[in-house]
Amino acid sequence: MVLQIKSLNKKYEEISLYQDFSITFEEGTITCILGPSGCGKTTLLNMIGRTVLPDGGTFDGFNGKVLSYIFQEPRLLPWKTVKENIEFVLGDSINADERKALVDQFIKLVELDNFANYYPAKLSGGMRQRVSIARAFAYKSDIILMDEPLKGLDIKLKLNLIKTFAKLWKADKRTVIFVTHDIDEALLLGNEIIVLSQAPVQIETRVRVDVPVENRSIDSTTLKDIKQHLLETLGKE
Amino acid sequence: MKILFTKKQIFSLAGVLFMLIVWKILALHFNSDFILPHPEKTLVTTIKLFADGNFLLIVGTTILRGIVGFVISGFLGILLGILAGISPNFNAFLRPILVTVRSIPVVALILLALIWFNPGLVPVFIGFLTMFPFICTNVIDGIRSVDPELIQMSNFYRVNHSKIVREVYIPAIMPFIVSGASSALGIGWRAIIIGEVLSQPRYGIGTVMQSAQTFLNVDAVIAWTIIAVVISYAFEKVIRWGEHRIVVWRF
Repeated sequence: MVLQIKSLNKKYEEISLYQDFSITFEEGTITCILGPSGCGKTTLLNMIGRTVLPDGGTFDGFNGKVLSYIFQEPRLLPWKTVKENIEFVLGDSINADERKALVDQFIKLVELDNFANYYPAKLSGGMRQRVSIARAFAYKSDIILMDEPLKGLDIKLKLNLIKTFAKLWKADKRTVIFVTHDIDEALLLGNEIIVLSQAPVQIETRVRVDVPVENRSIDSTTLKDIKQHLLETLGKE
Repeated sequence: MKILFTKKQIFSLAGVLFMLIVWKILALHFNSDFILPHPEKTLVTTIKLFADGNFLLIVGTTILRGIVGFVISGFLGILLGILAGISPNFNAFLRPILVTVRSIPVVALILLALIWFNPGLVPVFIGFLTMFPFICTNVIDGIRSVDPELIQMSNFYRVNHSKIVREVYIPAIMPFIVSGASSALGIGWRAIIIGEVLSQPRYGIGTVMQSAQTFLNVDAVIAWTIIAVVISYAFEKVIRWGEHRIVVWRF
Protein backbone atom coordinates (compact mmCIF):
# COMPACT_ATOMS: atom_id res chain seq x y z
CA MET A 1 0.00 0.00 0.00
CA VAL A 2 1.08 3.50 -0.74
CA LEU A 3 0.35 6.79 0.98
CA GLN A 4 0.15 9.57 -1.52
CA ILE A 5 0.15 13.34 -1.30
CA LYS A 6 -0.88 15.03 -4.54
CA SER A 7 -0.78 18.62 -5.82
CA LEU A 8 0.14 20.03 -2.45
CA ASN A 9 0.16 23.81 -2.12
CA LYS A 10 1.30 25.72 0.93
CA LYS A 11 2.32 29.33 1.32
CA TYR A 12 4.05 30.62 4.36
CA GLU A 13 4.31 34.40 4.75
CA GLU A 14 4.11 34.99 1.00
CA ILE A 15 6.74 32.32 0.27
CA SER A 16 5.52 29.34 -1.68
CA LEU A 17 6.87 26.39 0.29
CA TYR A 18 4.99 23.82 -1.75
CA GLN A 19 3.64 24.35 -5.22
CA ASP A 20 1.92 21.46 -6.95
CA PHE A 21 4.10 19.07 -4.95
CA SER A 22 3.50 15.32 -4.91
CA ILE A 23 5.15 12.58 -2.89
CA THR A 24 4.46 8.95 -1.99
CA PHE A 25 5.35 6.87 1.04
CA GLU A 26 5.34 3.11 1.02
CA GLU A 27 3.55 1.63 4.02
CA GLY A 28 5.57 -0.55 6.35
CA THR A 29 8.84 1.16 5.49
CA ILE A 30 10.97 3.97 6.84
CA THR A 31 11.08 6.93 4.50
CA CYS A 32 13.73 9.52 5.28
CA ILE A 33 13.28 13.03 4.04
CA LEU A 34 16.51 14.93 3.64
CA GLY A 35 16.72 18.55 2.73
CA PRO A 36 18.26 21.92 3.47
CA SER A 37 17.09 23.49 6.70
CA GLY A 38 14.17 25.85 6.33
CA CYS A 39 12.87 24.09 3.23
CA GLY A 40 9.63 23.15 4.93
CA LYS A 41 10.25 19.57 6.08
CA THR A 42 8.64 20.16 9.46
CA THR A 43 5.70 21.88 7.77
CA LEU A 44 5.22 18.75 5.65
CA LEU A 45 5.07 16.60 8.81
CA ASN A 46 2.66 19.05 10.42
CA MET A 47 0.41 18.91 7.38
CA ILE A 48 0.43 15.12 7.52
CA GLY A 49 -0.40 15.40 11.24
CA ARG A 50 -3.12 17.93 10.37
CA THR A 51 -1.83 20.51 12.82
CA VAL A 52 -1.03 22.78 9.89
CA LEU A 53 -3.57 22.99 7.10
CA PRO A 54 -2.41 22.94 3.48
CA ASP A 55 -3.72 25.55 1.05
CA GLY A 56 -4.58 22.78 -1.37
CA GLY A 57 -3.86 19.17 -2.26
CA THR A 58 -5.03 15.66 -1.47
CA PHE A 59 -3.76 13.17 1.10
CA ASP A 60 -4.66 9.68 -0.12
CA GLY A 61 -4.42 6.79 2.33
CA PHE A 62 -3.87 9.00 5.37
CA ASN A 63 -7.52 9.10 6.33
CA GLY A 64 -8.25 7.42 9.64
CA LYS A 65 -4.58 6.62 10.21
CA VAL A 66 -3.42 7.02 13.79
CA LEU A 67 -0.14 8.90 14.17
CA SER A 68 2.54 8.96 16.81
CA TYR A 69 5.42 11.37 17.07
CA ILE A 70 9.02 11.63 18.03
CA PHE A 71 9.96 15.27 18.31
CA GLN A 72 13.30 17.00 18.31
CA GLU A 73 12.95 17.49 22.07
CA PRO A 74 11.62 14.52 24.05
CA ARG A 75 8.59 16.53 25.29
CA LEU A 76 8.09 14.54 28.47
CA LEU A 77 5.89 15.77 31.30
CA PRO A 78 8.35 16.69 34.08
CA TRP A 79 5.90 15.66 36.83
CA LYS A 80 5.44 12.17 35.46
CA THR A 81 7.86 9.29 35.73
CA VAL A 82 9.14 7.40 32.70
CA LYS A 83 6.35 4.88 33.15
CA GLU A 84 3.64 7.50 33.66
CA ASN A 85 4.80 9.49 30.65
CA ILE A 86 4.22 6.52 28.36
CA GLU A 87 0.93 5.65 30.07
CA PHE A 88 -0.23 9.24 29.63
CA VAL A 89 -0.68 8.93 25.84
CA LEU A 90 -2.11 5.41 25.84
CA GLY A 91 -5.65 6.48 26.59
CA ASP A 92 -8.45 4.55 28.19
CA SER A 93 -9.27 2.32 25.24
CA ILE A 94 -7.11 -0.46 26.65
CA ASN A 95 -7.59 -1.81 30.16
CA ALA A 96 -5.21 -1.10 33.00
CA ASP A 97 -3.45 -4.49 33.00
CA GLU A 98 -2.84 -4.41 29.30
CA ARG A 99 -1.61 -0.86 29.55
CA LYS A 100 0.81 -1.73 32.29
CA ALA A 101 2.15 -4.71 30.35
CA LEU A 102 2.58 -2.60 27.24
CA VAL A 103 4.44 0.11 29.13
CA ASP A 104 6.73 -2.42 30.81
CA GLN A 105 7.43 -4.11 27.51
CA PHE A 106 8.53 -0.92 25.80
CA ILE A 107 10.49 0.38 28.75
CA LYS A 108 12.41 -2.89 28.62
CA LEU A 109 12.93 -2.59 24.86
CA VAL A 110 14.55 0.82 25.25
CA GLU A 111 16.56 -0.55 28.17
CA LEU A 112 15.20 1.77 30.81
CA ASP A 113 13.74 -0.90 33.11
CA ASN A 114 15.88 0.36 35.97
CA PHE A 115 14.63 3.88 35.46
CA ALA A 116 10.90 3.24 35.06
CA ASN A 117 10.07 5.27 38.16
CA TYR A 118 12.49 8.13 37.52
CA TYR A 119 11.37 11.65 36.76
CA PRO A 120 12.74 13.11 33.49
CA ALA A 121 14.87 15.62 35.39
CA LYS A 122 16.94 12.70 36.68
CA LEU A 123 17.62 11.24 33.21
CA SER A 124 20.24 12.11 30.60
CA GLY A 125 19.21 13.65 27.28
CA GLY A 126 19.66 10.35 25.45
CA MET A 127 17.57 8.48 28.00
CA ARG A 128 14.79 11.02 27.69
CA GLN A 129 14.78 10.60 23.93
CA ARG A 130 14.56 6.83 24.43
CA VAL A 131 11.43 7.36 26.53
CA SER A 132 10.02 9.42 23.69
CA ILE A 133 10.80 6.59 21.23
CA ALA A 134 9.17 4.03 23.54
CA ARG A 135 6.13 6.29 23.84
CA ALA A 136 5.77 6.53 20.05
CA PHE A 137 5.96 2.74 19.63
CA ALA A 138 3.77 1.86 22.61
CA TYR A 139 1.04 4.08 21.19
CA LYS A 140 -1.02 2.04 18.76
CA SER A 141 -0.32 4.10 15.67
CA ASP A 142 -0.18 3.34 11.97
CA ILE A 143 2.44 5.93 11.17
CA ILE A 144 5.29 7.35 13.22
CA LEU A 145 6.35 10.88 12.33
CA MET A 146 9.85 11.87 13.39
CA ASP A 147 11.16 15.41 13.30
CA GLU A 148 14.95 15.39 13.72
CA PRO A 149 14.87 13.47 17.00
CA LEU A 150 18.64 12.97 16.95
CA LYS A 151 19.60 16.58 16.37
CA GLY A 152 22.18 17.89 18.79
CA LEU A 153 23.11 14.50 20.27
CA ASP A 154 26.69 13.25 20.12
CA ILE A 155 27.66 10.52 17.63
CA LYS A 156 27.79 7.69 20.14
CA LEU A 157 24.39 8.51 21.53
CA LYS A 158 23.02 8.92 18.04
CA LEU A 159 24.19 5.47 16.93
CA ASN A 160 22.85 4.02 20.13
CA LEU A 161 19.40 5.53 19.59
CA ILE A 162 19.40 4.46 15.94
CA LYS A 163 20.09 0.89 17.09
CA THR A 164 17.27 1.07 19.62
CA PHE A 165 14.94 2.51 17.03
CA ALA A 166 15.81 -0.18 14.47
CA LYS A 167 15.17 -2.88 17.06
CA LEU A 168 11.73 -1.55 17.91
CA TRP A 169 10.87 -0.94 14.30
CA LYS A 170 11.81 -4.46 13.22
CA ALA A 171 9.21 -5.91 15.57
CA ASP A 172 6.19 -4.41 13.84
CA LYS A 173 7.47 -2.62 10.72
CA ARG A 174 5.38 0.46 11.16
CA THR A 175 5.27 3.17 8.52
CA VAL A 176 7.80 5.82 9.49
CA ILE A 177 8.31 9.26 7.99
CA PHE A 178 11.60 10.59 9.28
CA VAL A 179 12.68 14.15 8.61
CA THR A 180 16.36 14.95 9.05
CA HIS A 181 19.18 17.03 7.63
CA ASP A 182 21.82 14.46 8.56
CA ILE A 183 22.80 12.12 5.69
CA ASP A 184 24.24 9.43 7.97
CA GLU A 185 21.02 9.18 9.98
CA ALA A 186 19.09 8.77 6.75
CA LEU A 187 21.53 6.12 5.47
CA LEU A 188 21.32 4.12 8.68
CA LEU A 189 17.54 4.15 9.00
CA GLY A 190 15.89 4.80 5.66
CA ASN A 191 14.41 2.12 3.41
CA GLU A 192 13.93 5.01 1.10
CA ILE A 193 15.67 8.34 1.12
CA ILE A 194 14.08 11.34 -0.52
CA VAL A 195 16.07 14.53 -1.05
CA LEU A 196 14.06 17.73 -1.18
CA SER A 197 15.10 21.04 -2.73
CA GLN A 198 14.78 24.57 -1.44
CA ALA A 199 11.32 26.14 -1.58
CA PRO A 200 9.26 25.76 -3.65
CA VAL A 201 10.05 22.19 -2.74
CA GLN A 202 10.70 19.58 -5.40
CA ILE A 203 11.99 16.03 -5.08
CA GLU A 204 15.64 16.07 -6.15
CA THR A 205 16.21 12.35 -5.91
CA ARG A 206 14.73 9.24 -4.41
CA VAL A 207 16.94 6.31 -3.42
CA ARG A 208 16.08 2.82 -2.17
CA VAL A 209 18.43 1.29 0.37
CA ASP A 210 18.10 -2.48 0.20
CA VAL A 211 20.31 -3.40 3.17
CA PRO A 212 18.15 -4.50 6.17
CA VAL A 213 17.95 -1.67 8.68
CA GLU A 214 19.33 -3.74 11.56
CA ASN A 215 22.63 -4.66 9.89
CA ARG A 216 23.79 -1.47 8.34
CA SER A 217 27.22 -0.02 8.70
CA ILE A 218 28.04 3.47 7.63
CA ASP A 219 31.38 2.17 6.23
CA SER A 220 29.89 -0.41 3.87
CA THR A 221 30.44 0.23 0.18
CA THR A 222 26.72 0.22 -0.61
CA LEU A 223 26.02 2.98 1.85
CA LYS A 224 29.15 4.87 0.81
CA ASP A 225 28.01 4.84 -2.82
CA ILE A 226 24.56 6.09 -1.87
CA LYS A 227 26.10 8.74 0.34
CA GLN A 228 28.20 9.95 -2.56
CA HIS A 229 25.10 10.25 -4.70
CA LEU A 230 23.17 12.09 -1.96
CA LEU A 231 26.05 14.47 -1.35
CA GLU A 232 26.20 15.32 -5.04
CA THR A 233 22.46 15.95 -5.13
CA LEU A 234 22.53 18.10 -2.01
CA GLY A 235 25.64 19.88 -3.32
CA LYS A 236 23.72 21.12 -6.32
CA GLU A 237 21.50 23.06 -3.98
CA MET B 1 31.10 17.15 67.96
CA LYS B 2 27.49 17.11 66.94
CA ILE B 3 26.41 20.20 65.03
CA LEU B 4 23.38 21.66 66.77
CA PHE B 5 22.72 24.50 64.36
CA THR B 6 23.72 25.19 60.78
CA LYS B 7 25.46 28.45 59.97
CA LYS B 8 22.29 29.83 58.42
CA GLN B 9 20.26 29.00 61.52
CA ILE B 10 22.81 30.77 63.71
CA PHE B 11 22.41 33.92 61.62
CA SER B 12 18.63 33.65 61.83
CA LEU B 13 18.84 33.30 65.59
CA ALA B 14 21.10 36.35 65.66
CA GLY B 15 18.38 38.27 63.78
CA VAL B 16 15.79 37.32 66.39
CA LEU B 17 18.19 38.22 69.16
CA PHE B 18 18.85 41.58 67.54
CA MET B 19 15.13 42.41 67.59
CA LEU B 20 14.90 41.45 71.27
CA ILE B 21 17.92 43.61 72.14
CA VAL B 22 16.51 46.65 70.33
CA TRP B 23 13.21 46.04 72.11
CA LYS B 24 14.94 45.81 75.49
CA ILE B 25 16.93 49.02 74.88
CA LEU B 26 13.77 50.89 73.87
CA ALA B 27 11.90 49.51 76.90
CA LEU B 28 14.70 50.69 79.17
CA HIS B 29 14.65 54.07 77.48
CA PHE B 30 10.88 54.66 77.85
CA ASN B 31 10.75 52.86 81.17
CA SER B 32 6.95 52.65 81.12
CA ASP B 33 4.71 49.61 80.74
CA PHE B 34 2.11 51.86 79.13
CA ILE B 35 4.43 52.69 76.24
CA LEU B 36 6.64 49.64 75.78
CA PRO B 37 6.76 46.82 78.33
CA HIS B 38 9.96 44.82 78.77
CA PRO B 39 10.36 41.69 76.64
CA GLU B 40 10.49 39.35 79.64
CA LYS B 41 7.27 40.82 81.06
CA THR B 42 5.61 40.39 77.68
CA LEU B 43 6.80 36.80 77.58
CA VAL B 44 5.14 36.15 80.92
CA THR B 45 1.95 37.80 79.66
CA THR B 46 2.07 35.63 76.53
CA ILE B 47 2.39 32.47 78.59
CA LYS B 48 -0.45 33.62 80.84
CA LEU B 49 -2.65 34.01 77.77
CA PHE B 50 -2.49 30.26 77.22
CA ALA B 51 -4.06 29.77 80.62
CA ASP B 52 -6.95 32.07 79.75
CA GLY B 53 -10.16 30.02 79.56
CA ASN B 54 -11.11 31.58 76.25
CA PHE B 55 -7.68 31.31 74.66
CA LEU B 56 -8.48 28.37 72.38
CA LEU B 57 -11.82 29.85 71.44
CA ILE B 58 -10.22 33.19 70.52
CA VAL B 59 -7.32 31.72 68.56
CA GLY B 60 -9.51 28.98 67.07
CA THR B 61 -12.08 31.46 65.79
CA THR B 62 -9.45 33.60 64.11
CA ILE B 63 -7.79 30.55 62.54
CA LEU B 64 -11.19 29.29 61.38
CA ARG B 65 -11.88 32.65 59.72
CA GLY B 66 -8.49 32.47 58.04
CA ILE B 67 -9.10 28.94 56.80
CA VAL B 68 -12.61 29.67 55.53
CA GLY B 69 -11.42 32.81 53.71
CA PHE B 70 -8.46 30.93 52.33
CA VAL B 71 -10.47 27.95 51.12
CA ILE B 72 -13.01 30.16 49.34
CA SER B 73 -10.20 32.23 47.78
CA GLY B 74 -8.34 29.08 46.82
CA PHE B 75 -11.35 27.45 45.23
CA LEU B 76 -12.48 30.51 43.27
CA GLY B 77 -8.92 31.64 42.55
CA ILE B 78 -7.92 28.32 41.04
CA LEU B 79 -11.17 27.90 39.11
CA LEU B 80 -11.27 31.42 37.66
CA GLY B 81 -7.48 31.44 37.23
CA ILE B 82 -7.59 28.31 35.07
CA LEU B 83 -10.43 29.74 32.97
CA ALA B 84 -8.61 33.05 32.52
CA GLY B 85 -5.34 31.27 31.78
CA ILE B 86 -6.96 29.26 29.02
CA SER B 87 -9.30 31.91 27.58
CA PRO B 88 -7.77 35.29 26.68
CA ASN B 89 -11.25 36.84 26.56
CA PHE B 90 -12.13 35.75 30.06
CA ASN B 91 -8.72 36.97 31.18
CA ALA B 92 -9.44 40.41 29.69
CA PHE B 93 -12.75 40.40 31.57
CA LEU B 94 -11.19 39.36 34.87
CA ARG B 95 -8.11 41.63 34.83
CA PRO B 96 -9.83 44.92 35.71
CA ILE B 97 -11.74 43.18 38.50
CA LEU B 98 -8.56 41.78 40.01
CA VAL B 99 -6.71 45.08 39.68
CA THR B 100 -9.60 46.96 41.32
CA VAL B 101 -9.93 44.53 44.21
CA ARG B 102 -6.20 44.63 44.81
CA SER B 103 -6.02 48.43 44.74
CA ILE B 104 -8.88 49.15 47.16
CA PRO B 105 -7.46 50.02 50.61
CA VAL B 106 -8.28 47.26 53.09
CA VAL B 107 -9.81 49.81 55.47
CA ALA B 108 -12.28 50.97 52.81
CA LEU B 109 -13.34 47.35 52.29
CA ILE B 110 -13.80 46.90 56.02
CA LEU B 111 -15.94 50.03 56.35
CA LEU B 112 -18.20 48.79 53.60
CA ALA B 113 -18.23 45.24 54.93
CA LEU B 114 -19.27 46.56 58.35
CA ILE B 115 -22.40 47.92 56.73
CA TRP B 116 -23.14 44.75 54.79
CA PHE B 117 -22.25 41.85 57.08
CA ASN B 118 -22.44 40.81 60.70
CA PRO B 119 -19.19 41.34 62.67
CA GLY B 120 -18.10 37.68 62.55
CA LEU B 121 -18.26 37.58 58.75
CA VAL B 122 -16.45 40.87 58.08
CA PRO B 123 -12.94 39.43 58.64
CA VAL B 124 -13.71 36.41 56.45
CA PHE B 125 -14.92 38.68 53.67
CA ILE B 126 -11.83 40.88 53.99
CA GLY B 127 -9.60 37.81 54.08
CA PHE B 128 -11.22 36.51 50.93
CA LEU B 129 -10.88 39.80 49.05
CA THR B 130 -7.20 40.16 49.94
CA MET B 131 -6.23 36.55 49.24
CA PHE B 132 -8.30 35.81 46.15
CA PRO B 133 -6.43 38.14 43.72
CA PHE B 134 -3.06 36.68 44.75
CA ILE B 135 -4.07 33.10 44.14
CA CYS B 136 -5.97 33.90 40.97
CA THR B 137 -3.11 35.93 39.44
CA ASN B 138 -0.61 33.21 40.26
CA VAL B 139 -2.78 30.53 38.70
CA ILE B 140 -3.13 32.62 35.52
CA ASP B 141 0.65 33.05 35.37
CA GLY B 142 1.03 29.33 36.00
CA ILE B 143 -1.24 28.38 33.11
CA ARG B 144 0.63 30.82 30.88
CA SER B 145 3.92 29.18 31.82
CA VAL B 146 2.80 25.73 30.65
CA ASP B 147 5.12 24.66 27.84
CA PRO B 148 3.03 24.88 24.63
CA GLU B 149 5.07 22.00 23.22
CA LEU B 150 3.70 19.71 25.93
CA ILE B 151 0.17 20.76 25.04
CA GLN B 152 0.95 20.19 21.36
CA MET B 153 2.37 16.75 22.17
CA SER B 154 -0.80 15.89 24.13
CA ASN B 155 -2.96 17.04 21.23
CA PHE B 156 -0.88 15.09 18.72
CA TYR B 157 -1.43 11.97 20.78
CA ARG B 158 -5.15 12.78 20.98
CA VAL B 159 -5.21 12.95 24.76
CA ASN B 160 -8.67 14.23 25.73
CA HIS B 161 -9.17 17.74 27.09
CA SER B 162 -10.16 16.87 30.62
CA LYS B 163 -7.09 14.66 30.95
CA ILE B 164 -4.90 17.49 29.63
CA VAL B 165 -6.34 19.83 32.27
CA ARG B 166 -5.93 17.25 35.05
CA GLU B 167 -2.53 15.86 34.13
CA VAL B 168 -0.78 18.69 32.32
CA TYR B 169 -2.20 22.05 33.42
CA ILE B 170 -2.91 21.32 37.09
CA PRO B 171 0.50 19.77 37.91
CA ALA B 172 2.18 22.58 35.97
CA ILE B 173 0.46 25.24 38.04
CA MET B 174 0.97 23.53 41.42
CA PRO B 175 4.21 25.42 42.19
CA PHE B 176 2.42 28.66 41.31
CA ILE B 177 -0.55 27.77 43.51
CA VAL B 178 1.80 27.07 46.40
CA SER B 179 3.65 30.37 46.08
CA GLY B 180 0.35 32.20 45.56
CA ALA B 181 -1.11 30.53 48.64
CA SER B 182 1.94 31.43 50.67
CA SER B 183 1.89 35.14 49.81
CA ALA B 184 -1.91 35.21 50.06
CA LEU B 185 -1.87 33.82 53.59
CA GLY B 186 0.91 36.20 54.64
CA ILE B 187 -1.29 39.16 53.72
CA GLY B 188 -4.52 37.35 54.62
CA TRP B 189 -3.78 36.94 58.34
CA ARG B 190 -3.03 40.62 58.69
CA ALA B 191 -6.23 41.59 56.86
CA ILE B 192 -8.32 39.24 58.97
CA ILE B 193 -6.95 40.63 62.22
CA ILE B 194 -7.50 44.23 61.06
CA GLY B 195 -11.02 43.16 60.18
CA GLU B 196 -11.51 41.78 63.69
CA VAL B 197 -10.11 44.92 65.33
CA LEU B 198 -12.60 47.08 63.48
CA SER B 199 -15.64 44.83 63.43
CA GLN B 200 -15.29 43.52 66.99
CA PRO B 201 -16.79 40.06 66.62
CA ARG B 202 -17.41 38.19 69.87
CA TYR B 203 -14.20 36.13 69.63
CA GLY B 204 -11.03 36.83 67.69
CA ILE B 205 -7.43 37.90 68.16
CA GLY B 206 -8.25 41.33 66.72
CA THR B 207 -11.09 41.74 69.22
CA VAL B 208 -8.90 41.06 72.25
CA MET B 209 -6.10 43.21 70.86
CA GLN B 210 -8.51 46.12 70.54
CA SER B 211 -9.80 45.76 74.10
CA ALA B 212 -6.23 45.39 75.45
CA GLN B 213 -5.33 48.59 73.64
CA THR B 214 -8.34 50.40 75.12
CA PHE B 215 -7.11 49.52 78.62
CA LEU B 216 -3.50 50.37 77.71
CA ASN B 217 -2.45 46.75 78.28
CA VAL B 218 0.44 47.18 75.88
CA ASP B 219 2.02 43.89 76.95
CA ALA B 220 -1.20 42.05 76.03
CA VAL B 221 -1.32 43.79 72.64
CA ILE B 222 2.22 42.65 71.92
CA ALA B 223 1.57 39.17 73.34
CA TRP B 224 -1.38 38.68 70.98
CA THR B 225 0.76 40.05 68.15
CA ILE B 226 3.36 37.40 68.88
CA ILE B 227 0.67 34.73 68.77
CA ALA B 228 -0.58 36.07 65.44
CA VAL B 229 2.98 35.94 64.06
CA VAL B 230 3.39 32.36 65.27
CA ILE B 231 0.12 31.33 63.58
CA SER B 232 1.16 32.96 60.32
CA TYR B 233 4.58 31.31 60.50
CA ALA B 234 3.06 27.90 61.26
CA PHE B 235 0.77 28.09 58.23
CA GLU B 236 3.68 29.15 56.02
CA LYS B 237 5.55 26.07 57.23
CA VAL B 238 2.56 23.83 56.50
CA ILE B 239 2.38 25.17 52.96
CA ARG B 240 6.11 24.64 52.38
CA TRP B 241 5.84 21.13 53.76
CA GLY B 242 2.91 20.50 51.43
CA GLU B 243 4.91 21.86 48.51
CA HIS B 244 7.58 19.22 48.99
CA ARG B 245 4.92 16.52 48.99
CA ILE B 246 2.95 17.81 46.01
CA VAL B 247 5.73 19.06 43.75
CA VAL B 248 7.86 16.01 44.38
CA TRP B 249 9.24 15.89 40.84
CA ARG B 250 11.10 19.14 41.35
CA PHE B 251 13.18 18.08 44.29
